[in-house]
Amino acid sequence: MGEVSKKVKKRFKNYDDFFQQETYLYKEIVEIMGFNTLINIPKTKDILQEYTKSVHTPDMTLDDFLKTIGEVKEGNIDDAIQSIFEGKLIICSNKGQYVVVDPIPKELNRSIEPPSNENVLQGSQSSFIEDLETNIGLIRKEKTSEKLCVNSYSMGKRQNKKLALLYIEGNVNKDILSEMQNQIEKNIKKELQNQQDLSNILGFSPWLTMSKFHTSELPSEAVKMLLQGRVVLFIDRLPIAFILPSLIWDMFTIENEHNYPYPLMILIRVLRVLGLLTTLIVPGLYVALVAVNPGVLRIEMALSIAQSRQGVPYPALVEVLIMLLILELILEASVRLPKSIGPTITMVGGIILGQAIVDAKLVSNLLIIILAATTIANFTIVGVQNSLSIRLYKYLIVIFASIYGVFGLLAGMLLIIAYLSSLKTFGVSYLNVNLERDVIKR
Amino acid sequence: MYFITHVGLIFFMYPTDIIESASRTHWVPIFIGMVFHLVFIWIYMKGLSYFPGKNIIDIYMEKGKGLSLIFLIPIIGYFFLANITTVRAYSEIINIVFLSETPLWATMIPFLFIATYIAAKGLNVIFHTAFIVACVFLPLFLFIFILSFQNVDWRYFFPLFDIDYSFISNRSYYKSFFSFAGVFLFLGFIQPYHTYDRKKVLLSAILLLPFFLFSVYVPILTFGQATSATFQFPFVTALDSVYISWLVFDRITMFFLISLLIFIMIFLSLLLWMVSSILVHFVPIVKHSYVLYFLSILIFIICVMLPDWKVVEKLFWWNTYFRFYVILVIPFSVLIFGVRSKRKVR
Repeated sequence: MGEVSKKVKKRFKNYDDFFQQETYLYKEIVEIMGFNTLINIPKTKDILQEYTKSVHTPDMTLDDFLKTIGEVKEGNIDDAIQSIFEGKLIICSNKGQYVVVDPIPKELNRSIEPPSNENVLQGSQSSFIEDLETNIGLIRKEKTSEKLCVNSYSMGKRQNKKLALLYIEGNVNKDILSEMQNQIEKNIKKELQNQQDLSNILGFSPWLTMSKFHTSELPSEAVKMLLQGRVVLFIDRLPIAFILPSLIWDMFTIENEHNYPYPLMILIRVLRVLGLLTTLIVPGLYVALVAVNPGVLRIEMALSIAQSRQGVPYPALVEVLIMLLILELILEASVRLPKSIGPTITMVGGIILGQAIVDAKLVSNLLIIILAATTIANFTIVGVQNSLSIRLYKYLIVIFASIYGVFGLLAGMLLIIAYLSSLKTFGVSYLNVNLERDVIKR
Repeated sequence: MYFITHVGLIFFMYPTDIIESASRTHWVPIFIGMVFHLVFIWIYMKGLSYFPGKNIIDIYMEKGKGLSLIFLIPIIGYFFLANITTVRAYSEIINIVFLSETPLWATMIPFLFIATYIAAKGLNVIFHTAFIVACVFLPLFLFIFILSFQNVDWRYFFPLFDIDYSFISNRSYYKSFFSFAGVFLFLGFIQPYHTYDRKKVLLSAILLLPFFLFSVYVPILTFGQATSATFQFPFVTALDSVYISWLVFDRITMFFLISLLIFIMIFLSLLLWMVSSILVHFVPIVKHSYVLYFLSILIFIICVMLPDWKVVEKLFWWNTYFRFYVILVIPFSVLIFGVRSKRKVR
């Protein structure tokens, strides 16, 4: 056994999934090593043998062969160890030389499946998976263009997390792109695991309530964004595309709507805008009308509301906040629950609790209707993170409305609009409507 | 942008002043005001076009610090007073119309707070906000504006040609210029950040004409001249008389008012931004945002200290001097500087 393999073996004595096997190549003994959890050993061996046959010439020796399959290294085993952790295979000869090869990996990825978070009605069903290369491949398949460029970075102190940056040359704004690249290269030593790390690397404030990334798990969506001149980022082992810059209009549009007739597409989008407005306004409006400005309502309406609130022991604000809190809990619980119990909780939470709480005179009838409408409207918005942000903003409006009535309601709206318009990603305003005109051709 | 800030200003004070100033043929003072307005915008923009990429502060600064002080201090005074009167007057309106139990200082807080917040984020944010606000609130506004014609009796439109020029000597008529003068100066401030099309600005100014006209005529057509002269806010009162059977809300006035108030907040933030950017130019050590905070706190204190509506009216009248200075002197001086600098280049 060679010097190298001894050292390596010593290094890996606490790793039981490490394997070291002897095999014959050109009638000489070589050792192959790696992790059996990452490498498909029989297949790799087969391929290796087949390869020796295919490059076989009469006077070929083992040394020559090793040179043809990779860079031959000697002595220093740091490279070998690092490569083993990355899932590579080491072929080590008796003379202490070794080569790092890409083996047949164990199949550790799920296959390409329909998206699990974003439902597609009519359109491409494939979604991104955890493997970075597959994701880039999906995009290349969707858009065969020589202008689609990919930059790869290895992030972190040990440089073991891969980050890919995709853009379409000619469509993307060069200033934004180079600023982004600089930012990544400057922070290349920072650890990268999730979106928060990514936004840290790109230098965004961690206290933003509206995500600067538009996330999607659909290749068709990502390609549309690329064509618009945006940049797509992939983190290895995350099945999401991070699209920059994110714009407000992304909340209302989905690529596969273009498979519908044009008027229907517009109607659906209008519906989403209405959904957004409903989510924001309706709970606040209830508080404003009940607590501060009942005079705005028609007298019959005001009376019936007052009647339904008869016996409710606290002010409208508290009433709304309690019910909103319960609804948030139901929502959160139904995300966490296994799929088989989900419907039960919807039933218990929605129907039984709702009915009981009204009967017990804890909240008014009308409020239940309003909150149901709010919650449903909330989920018309595209993107999980977007709808979360909107869920948060509605509280601001509720509180404003409880102080200033209808005026507070709209003032809160103005504040939110101002906040959104103050958001900027690499110089692109969040409220930019025409990206192509304002940014790309600049 | 230009459009909505104006719309916000038109509907409260303007009808009162015009109705007060003229007893018949109200379209004459309106048209004269409008023409005046258009001419001065045109002069102002013409003057500014000699200095591409420069704002009005830079233009005056080039001519020396003393001169720029002479020109800019009245502007500061004007903006400052306008700010105070607007905040005070509009929170007064809120209190009258729908928040009768809220103390006045409490209604002023969201006004100033939101305006300062927007102003602190800079001009681009003001513009973007204005754009989205226009998308959201303008339909609502127009809808209610159209509804306001419900009780109109067109016979009050006459007499058309029995022209009465007494308005020229009336104080109220000059106060009505508040609705014209406040906004157009901002065109001089935005140059390095934005470019604008002169034709579009003029077009939006012309588009404002029906709003000016009907803000006065709707109350007159509804109640007649004699009655509407007694109201403090005639247009609002006229709106209150509207009744629509299929709407849940009894008082659509409220939504109308509030959408106007939103426009006003944007106007306020613009004013604040302009004042603070002038001040920052004179005292460059202080940060822009600190100036803003200081200003808004100062305005808040002054607004709270004002004892009653009469004082506000008085302030409003004092501000008229500044206003005419701003309307007359600034556009002309910019034009003259522009023409002179062009000659020099030759």
